[in-house]
This record gives sequence, structure tokens and C-alpha cells, in this order.
Amino acid sequence: MTNRTPKLSAGQTRRIQDELRDAYDFDPKDPLFGLSRQDLSGPRLGRRAVLRLMAASGTLTAAHLVPRIGTRPARAQSGGTLAAGWSGVGEIRTLDPAQINQVLQFQISSNVLSGFTHINTELVAEGDLAEDWSVSDDGKEWTFNLRQGVTFHNGDPFTADDVIFTYQRNKDPQNSIHSAVIANVADVVKVDDHTVRLVLGAPQASLLTKTLERSSGRAMTIVSRGALEELGGSQYGLTPVGTGPFQVTAHSMGQSVVLEKFEDYYDPERPKLDKVTIAPIIDAEPLAAAIEAGDIQLIGGNPIAPEIVDRLLANPDLVVSITPAPGFQSIWLNPWREPFTVSDYNKPLEELMGENGFKARLAFAKALDRDRYIQQAQFGRGVACYGSINPAMASFFDENLGESSTQRFDLEEAKRLLAEAGYPDGEGIPALKLLHTPDQRREAQIIANMLTTSLGIEIELDTKDFPVLIDEFDKMNFDLCRLGSGGDYDPDDALVDWMQTTSKFNGRLRDMNKMPFGNFSDAQVDELIEQQRLETDPDERRALVQEANRITSDKLASAFLFHPMDILVHHTSVNFPPESRIPGLVDLDRTTIST
Amino acid sequence: MSRYLFRRILGAIVVMWAVATLVFFMLRAVPGDPIAAMLFDVGDPAAADAIRQKFGLDQPVWVQYAKWFALVLQGDLGTSLLGSQVEVTRIIREAFPRTISLASLSFLIALVIAVPAGLISALKRHSAVDHAVTMVAFLGLSMPDFWLAILLIIVFAANLQWLPAIGYAPLSDGFWPWFSHLILPSIAIGTPFAAIMARMIRSSMLEVLRTEYMQVARSKGLLKPRLILVHALPNALIPIVTVMGIALALLMAGTVVVENVFAIKGLGRVLIQGILNRDYPVVQGAILVVSAIFVFSNLLVDLVYTVIDPRIRYE
Repeated sequence: MTNRTPKLSAGQTRRIQDELRDAYDFDPKDPLFGLSRQDLSGPRLGRRAVLRLMAASGTLTAAHLVPRIGTRPARAQSGGTLAAGWSGVGEIRTLDPAQINQVLQFQISSNVLSGFTHINTELVAEGDLAEDWSVSDDGKEWTFNLRQGVTFHNGDPFTADDVIFTYQRNKDPQNSIHSAVIANVADVVKVDDHTVRLVLGAPQASLLTKTLERSSGRAMTIVSRGALEELGGSQYGLTPVGTGPFQVTAHSMGQSVVLEKFEDYYDPERPKLDKVTIAPIIDAEPLAAAIEAGDIQLIGGNPIAPEIVDRLLANPDLVVSITPAPGFQSIWLNPWREPFTVSDYNKPLEELMGENGFKARLAFAKALDRDRYIQQAQFGRGVACYGSINPAMASFFDENLGESSTQRFDLEEAKRLLAEAGYPDGEGIPALKLLHTPDQRREAQIIANMLTTSLGIEIELDTKDFPVLIDEFDKMNFDLCRLGSGGDYDPDDALVDWMQTTSKFNGRLRDMNKMPFGNFSDAQVDELIEQQRLETDPDERRALVQEANRITSDKLASAFLFHPMDILVHHTSVNFPPESRIPGLVDLDRTTIST
Repeated sequence: MSRYLFRRILGAIVVMWAVATLVFFMLRAVPGDPIAAMLFDVGDPAAADAIRQKFGLDQPVWVQYAKWFALVLQGDLGTSLLGSQVEVTRIIREAFPRTISLASLSFLIALVIAVPAGLISALKRHSAVDHAVTMVAFLGLSMPDFWLAILLIIVFAANLQWLPAIGYAPLSDGFWPWFSHLILPSIAIGTPFAAIMARMIRSSMLEVLRTEYMQVARSKGLLKPRLILVHALPNALIPIVTVMGIALALLMAGTVVVENVFAIKGLGRVLIQGILNRDYPVVQGAILVVSAIFVFSNLLVDLVYTVIDPRIRYE
């Protein structure tokens, strides 16, 4: 859905009004919604019936009736070549799932290789290479019936042996950077050629959505034994062979990746396109020019620079789809440095509220006008953030956290707290350094300005290259740091990776003698996060996740800032169906292009 | 002459070695661990250690240097640390034709603009034409090449849609695809150089035109074209060729900004991305190639002098 208002003729306007009126003209008590049985039966539903049903279910808006806006069913036509540009990146360094470390890489590889499951737009895992599965009572053994008749791009048949091979390969850190993801998979047993059993160390709630899903669970993305042997690891990384709807036919690193339709894909309906070319385009201006010139018809890759989005929105030949992205971004306040010191998070909140260090932290977070920041730094695109659980995580996200969290914006309260902490109008606080990458300079300037004008805290910008920044972050060698995460589809991605005492992003390289914990450590939160990992009942798990998230918010694990938006831009000739619209991914198997 | 050549080539190799060694140690002194950055999202220390061990990054710097040097002598530049770990020779081999195409075309465009402009400017000194050329030259010098590049993309690609906005097509795809992708970047790079060279040609020609032998030639009644092209220009060439030599070398390695804008992966981009990613083998390999280009183009310029001016001889 786009944010533009199209110009309509009087005739068009009248027609839309008539259709709307007709769609809502039914007795709500009528089980057939005012339609006849013939209207409702197959093989096709007519437009009037579709609109009536949408009105009856509350999903019909005027946008659906206006030409060229709104969701459109995927056209049946197939064929054609799609040229895509990948934003903000110079080269696609690898497509080997065992080596993939960037979202923009698995946006491509998820079209070429498959996993057991595939996440859909509801963020629910559906079967991909696994047709069916069952779990034992103790939650530790999962049996998967593998899809039959699947072949790799090089003609080799897909069997349980390939699953075993993938597992063995990825278990070894020498072969794969994702071996930790399958640490909980104790063994993979072949039951027969098309059945495997996964034996887990402990029950795991996120098995289907994280470990086995083709995007985040790269450790179990099925690779081709034969192709690896033939091509060698390095070439396989450039031109991987998998079971997906597209195969890589050429890859000139730094220039383009060429994908072509795999004729023997297990679903004969997919893919629709014949060919896709992907060119990495690092600068924002040439990217915008390229799509305006028609050199490319789709933009994927890293998030698009916010300054060109308005320009693309204004272009009538382009469709701009904006949805919440799976991620969060924060300002981290080092609890081991003045004035934000906290020595023990395990104290109850009321007790923490009495400490000066905590008051200063709270003052900082409460002085952050998140809406204004989003307006100025992100050109109005983003969701105010109060915790690491993001809106794309669907039911796990708590919309009300913004109202209840101690972190919510309140400038008067912030000033009061800072004065109580012993720093009225920021006096007594030394100049603090805000660590950030060159890309985030504008954002950092806005934050610094906000805090200086509202609280009187002096903030210096400390711009460092990313490798240096994360080195300082891991060592807890900073005052303030602007950092966050993306590609978080499952609560584990946020809570386990950031909020536990032993989390990998929680000051991993710090001097443990001087700093017993990193950014945050609360025994209750640790416990809740462990419980939710094992909890398979969705409602129970949600309660645990939201509780843990709330505590990290109230106790200021960090000053949470915003959830980014996922912006997909494509030409109107490209039909990108709603089922493919998964934030953070660029699924091309149902996409078509009209000439 | 051959003794001179031998000495120069030896010197060139020594310079290359010195530069490569300096860069080797400087890279490792710069903060920022490539493996940690690469694996940030993954965050697995075991994986990071495994990769460091594989590449010998956990060993003392001297040991790393000795190993690298030994391999270089065998022609093995190692592999990239990141992603698919592609061989450095392959990365450079793929980038080289792009840079050569871009540099050559830019150079040609620069010449086509600069030579007539510089000549006319010198011959019609202080006329309206001279002033116009001077103004345009200053404009060209002051414009950042990436700014001009973006402007060209907006006008010719986005608006008029005459030319592609980004990318590179090899010559094997056909002449027009190769050429159409290179025109805009070449103009962007060539224009500032044209400005420099035009000024150079102008001042050099003015020097020559003032000499006694030119007065003699004029008084002999020789026709203008013959005067300029046969008697004046060849004598003005020495400083011009010097600048051209430097320009060509700079073009080969210094087009990184325009390469970024047009999404062309040439040598400049390989080098800069390598540095930003702390991809040591790629930077080391690319620096070797770039320093080779500089020293050998220097040598080439010196040899060209002997052709232009027979009085110059080396022992």
C-alpha cells in the first residue's frame, strides 16, 4: 500500500462510491451476506462477491477499489526478466548458507535454497522441504516426513542423506559460522530415505521458526553434497546449488547475480519469472536514478536510505510498500560509567528508582522524544520502540508497552529525575561520547541535539567504522552507543541474543574482573527467557516473552529508540503478491512482471 | 639503455615491495577486527576463532608477514577473508578490465577536450575564446567528479533515458552495451582531468611559442598548422606527457568514487571496500597492483621522453 492520493476522474469517483455502497448493502444476519449460493460457489468468485465478502469481514477499504493501489491478486501470467538492484551494498560476498552473515545475502539465497519450513506473511512456519512433522511427548524428538520427488538444480535427488550431510557440515565451526544455532540438535537420525528424526538436547519453542526455517536457520538450509564436491567451497559460495525455485546461473562478484527459473522445482506453479538479475548498488542516488530510469524494477538488499523514499513515493510508476521491519534500535548507556551507573539490576524496580545512576538513565530515556526523532531522522517512517520485541513478531508484540513503560517520553519528569540524581540541568555530567557508524551520523546528531537542548547534557559524536564500533561495544568501552539488530523474526532472536546475562551481544569481550555483567543482567529476566525457549504453548510463551520484555524496558536495559520499517519498492509492472510480502525478505517465487 | 632499464625495473620492484610491506603492517595496526565485524550478527566466538585459525590471524605479525611474502613470491595472493573467500587474483583479474576500460575512455575523452581547448587557448591568448576556455577549465577543476556523475545520471539516465544509469557490460556483450555503460562515468572522470590538461597544454604551448626558434619558423613564412603541429607542439610535449603519465596512473586507481556511484567494481572499489572491511589479503594484493601501475607508468613516461626529445638519453 502506498501513501499517495491519485487523481480520479468524476466517473471513476462515482463508480467507486457505487461499488462501496453495494458492497455494504446486506443484512449482517444473513449467513450468505446477501449473495446467492451461485454467487458464492466456484470455480471463480466474481468481483461483486469478492467485495461483498471483504466488506462483511471488515477488510474492505476504498483503497481496494481505486485503480493501481492496494493488494492485488498475483496475475497468472508467467515469464519475463526482472532486473533488481540491491541497496547499500557493494558486493554479494557469499550465498552459501553456512557462511551467510548478512540479511541481503539470504534474501537471494532463500530463492535458491530451501529449508524444512518456510515462514509466511503471518510469520507462521509452513512446510517447505518437510511435508509433515510430529513431535514426541517430551518435546525432544521431532520426526519429519520429507517431500518426495524433489531434485537439486544439478539433477541430484533430495533425500534424507542430504539432511544428514547438511547437519554434519554445519555442526563443525570450521565449515559453518552458524554451528551455534544447531547446538541444541543433538543428533539427526535417518529413519528412511524420506524421513528424518531430530533429537534435541532440550525442548525448543523456536525450532520450526528459527532453526529450521530457510531464512534465519541457515544451519539447516539444505545444500547439495555433489555440487560442493564438484565446485569446491569457494565457488559454491558464489553459485550455490539448492532445491529452490531459482538457480544461480552466473555470479560476477560486485557486478551481478543471475538467477534463472528451475524447471524441475517441486511446485510446478512456481516460479513465474524466467530470469532475475541482481546488481548491488551502494549509493542511494544512483539507486533512485536506476529505478527511475527503468534499469531496475525492484529494490532489495539493505534498508533504503530514508532520504530517497519520499521521492520514490511521489513517482506514479513505482509502488512503495511499507511494513514494520523485524528489528529494534537503541541507545545503549554503559552501566559501568558515570552518570548512568547501575551495579545490580536484580533489585526490585522501586529500589532501583531510588539510585542516582538509575535515575540518570531513566531521565535520559524519558527525554527521548521518539516520535520527533522518527520524524526528523527517519523522515517519519518507524515505530516508537520500548523493548527488543518488534511489531513484526505479530502476537508477541505488546502495543501498550509505550503507555506503561517507565521509559515513555515525559520531559518534565526527565528533568526532575536528573535534578534529583544530582545533575540539575545536566551540570556535573562530563561530555559524553556517542559511538556510532558513519551512516548514522544524522541520527546521532539529532539525538545529541535533543538531549543537549532538553536536559543540558553535552554529547560528542564519536564516529567509528563498524568493525571498530562493535569491538568497542563488545568490550563495553563506550559511554553511549547507537546499535540495534535486524532480521529478528522470533523472540529468541531478540531476547536470547541481547537480554540475557550470557547473551552474545551483552559485553562478551569485557574485562570480567572489572565488570561482572555487560549492559544488563537480571536473574528473573534470565529465567523468563529460558522458560519461553522451552514453552511450546503459544499463549503461555507470549505471556513469558512480554513479561521479560516489559522488565527490560522498565529497568532500562537500554534506551530503546525505534523499530525500523521495511520498505519494498518496485515498478508497477512488477506484481509482488501479498503472500510474498514478508518483511526483510524478497521472495520472488510468485512474482510476475507484465510487459 | 638496457642497463638503465634494468636498474629502473629493479628499482620499481623495490618500491613495490616497500609499499606492500608498509601497508601490511599498517593494516594490522589499524583498530577493527575483520572477523568480529563479519560475524557480528552471528556472534559465535567459536566460529570466529575457527576462521582466525584458518587464516593464521592468531599468529604473531612477523610470522604472518613471512608466510604472506613467501606465497607472493610464488604468485599466490591468498583469498579474501570474507564470504566465499574468493582468490584475490581472481578478484583483481575481474576488476582490472573494468578499470582499464574506464580509465582509457576517460583519458581519451580528456584528451579530446583538452588538446583543442589548450591549443586554441594558447594561440588566441587573452581573447574571448581563451577566457571562456579558462573559465570552463576552472569549473571543471572545481566540480567534484561524483557530483558531476550524479548530475549526468539524473539528466541522461533518469530523465532522458538515453543511457543506462549504473553497471558495467564487458566488451564480449557487444560494443554498444560496453560503451553505453561507460560514457557517463568516463565523462564524469575525464572532465576534471581535461581541465587540468588543458591548462597544462596552454601554459606549455605559451612557453614554446615565445622561443627564438618559433620566431625563426614564423619568419620563414611557414603555414600556421605546420608551425603549431610540427614545430610547437612536439616541443611542448614534455611537461604535458608528465602530467598525462600521472593522470593515467591516478585514473587507474583513483576512480573509486565514480565507481561507487555507477556500481562498477573496478580496482579502486576493490581497494576501498577491502580497507573498510579490513579484508587484509584483498588490500595487500590490490596495493601491490596499484603500486605496480604507478611505478611502471612512471617508467613508461620516462621512456616516452626519449621518443619525444631525441636529446634525452639514459645511461
